[in-house]
Amino acid sequence: MGYLDKEKTDALNRQKRERTIGNLGSPKNPFDYYDREYGTMPRDSKRAQFQWVSEVAYKNVHRIVTRGYDTTELMEEGYGVIEVLFVDYQARIPTIEEEKMLNYIMIMTLEDGLSAPAAISRIVARSKTFLTQACGASIMAFGHAYGAYSAFGNRLDTYLTMAKEKNLSLQSAAELLIEENLNDEALGVSDLMLKDPAAKRMLARAEKLGIAGKYISFMREIVKAARKMSDQPVDLDMLGATGAAMMDLGFTPEATWAILAVTRSFAAGAHYIEEVEREESNRLGQELTPKEDYDGPEDRPVPPLADREKVSTPATCTTPDEWKQRFEKMKDVHGSGFSIIEEVKDPSKKSGIKKVGKL
Amino acid sequence: MERKQLLKRKTSISYKTEEKTVMRGYNLSDLAEEGYSFYDAMFVLFQNRIPTQEEEKMLKYEMGVFLEHSMSPSAVGAIGVSAGRPNLPVCVAAAVSTFGGVHGPGAAHGYMLNKYLERAEKEGKTVDEMAKTLVDEYMDAGRPVMGMGQPQHIDSDPRAEPIHLKQEELELKGVYLEFQRALEKHFHARRKADGRSYVGVNVVGSGNTALMEVGFSPNAGWCIGSVVRGFSCAAHALFNMKKGRAWGASRNEPMVQMIDLSMIKYIGPEDRIVPKQEERQEYAKKQKEEGEYKKWVI
Repeated sequence: MGYLDKEKTDALNRQKRERTIGNLGSPKNPFDYYDREYGTMPRDSKRAQFQWVSEVAYKNVHRIVTRGYDTTELMEEGYGVIEVLFVDYQARIPTIEEEKMLNYIMIMTLEDGLSAPAAISRIVARSKTFLTQACGASIMAFGHAYGAYSAFGNRLDTYLTMAKEKNLSLQSAAELLIEENLNDEALGVSDLMLKDPAAKRMLARAEKLGIAGKYISFMREIVKAARKMSDQPVDLDMLGATGAAMMDLGFTPEATWAILAVTRSFAAGAHYIEEVEREESNRLGQELTPKEDYDGPEDRPVPPLADREKVSTPATCTTPDEWKQRFEKMKDVHGSGFSIIEEVKDPSKKSGIKKVGKL
Repeated sequence: MERKQLLKRKTSISYKTEEKTVMRGYNLSDLAEEGYSFYDAMFVLFQNRIPTQEEEKMLKYEMGVFLEHSMSPSAVGAIGVSAGRPNLPVCVAAAVSTFGGVHGPGAAHGYMLNKYLERAEKEGKTVDEMAKTLVDEYMDAGRPVMGMGQPQHIDSDPRAEPIHLKQEELELKGVYLEFQRALEKHFHARRKADGRSYVGVNVVGSGNTALMEVGFSPNAGWCIGSVVRGFSCAAHALFNMKKGRAWGASRNEPMVQMIDLSMIKYIGPEDRIVPKQEERQEYAKKQKEEGEYKKWVI
């Protein structure tokens, strides 16, 4: 395709300049809007053409290869999903002990009752969708509170790096971490597993298999520090056990996040199936929201359109004071977003959102 | 902390208390401690049973071989989504959601087999006869036979026949494999008779056959196949997030990027003047009358 020829381009632009189009003739515009090219950019012959570049895998007509290993050959040699996860994410074959540990972790992560991923899967299922949509939606339930493996792991790395740089003991680094993050959702220590031994069993298994390393050691110190500083009983929880064990297996926080979210998605698929089997689907407009659950403005008449100027309130603020007053007032409007602060960062660097919470 | 129920449902899959998480009656922690594999857990989850060793091996093979497939719609979906740098799970969700009626249509293949097996039973036909009926009905109607053909692996999917062979080696030869083998035989014969080129079995044709043989329903098999791919798609997204350029359009890269402006080829209506509001009504009426727009409606 490429750009339209000059004669046609000039003719079209001339016509538009004569007609004028809104504010497009303003000198404030960064370039002349009546002198723009038409058509798509010509192919770039100075650079190499686009290709899908990957360190992870390639395929051709006759083979599929991940990190140098042919996947069919891997299976024929008796490897499976667990090993391919090490290959895909770490470019290596795991030891038997590592394979056993990841297997253990994945069984433990598979199902969690009717928590967010299963609930979302079921809600999506009610719309009569493909199963894959529900499974995909369940993965989105993993954030920086539920299944917060990225936030958790990156924090561990931050404090371990700090300990190394400042020559702090693990105990001191753990105490510092707790001082600064005691009530964070991604701590890995909470009151969730006071009666359930599963998290502690997981770390014991890691130690028995000989895969426990600096992350599990650090996690144990974090638990000790949290117990000391918390005014209520707390202990290692599944996030802490799973996250630390995964990182001792060599997985990055982000890899851990992805692997465990996908693992849960298998069970979310079962929940989709059960929902379809046992429940009805929903139609548009079917669900009611009872008035007793509503605490917004009282019912009121819609003003006539002609009265718009009388009843409307402009949002434009002309001074910082006015702006601040409006900002504070808007916090009372639930759903407006003024009560939430977020620093949305590039997740490829760290965990994506530095801080999420209510003002 | 408050631990109220998120969604009230009667479920026979699992329950969770402060003391334990139980799936189909088994304490998950005990299942892991006992040394069962993740593949075993899939059988418990979807079929409420512990599998035989052979069945476990078959699932291990099938899931492992399906996990990574380099650039398929699922990986490309994950990479495309990652270009905007959302949280990683969003990329994976998109990848899993690419599995539909064409990409990895495991459920469709499974339902097809079940439908024709049921007909064989009702109509008193052999598996071989019914496989031929299926091939003829699909091909007469111009419908693609599920499980056959792959646009990249044109000489047959490299994973496909080895899955069949593994199934045979593990002596898991049941009605599904018999049907699929017969389907392939009649499919190849029909294409040959029609003077058409060879089209091999794909990984859905063989992998889903194995999954059905070891007792998974069409949807459970689809779940296993499409979700296991999510693992590798996350790796592809992660590679691009950590080592690639966001947006995929930088002009500073030595290679033209995925959505560089020069990658766009436009084949729609020619550039035209936007009508002024005062011209609008007449313009719009004329456009409707002429009807030229209809060829662009999608």
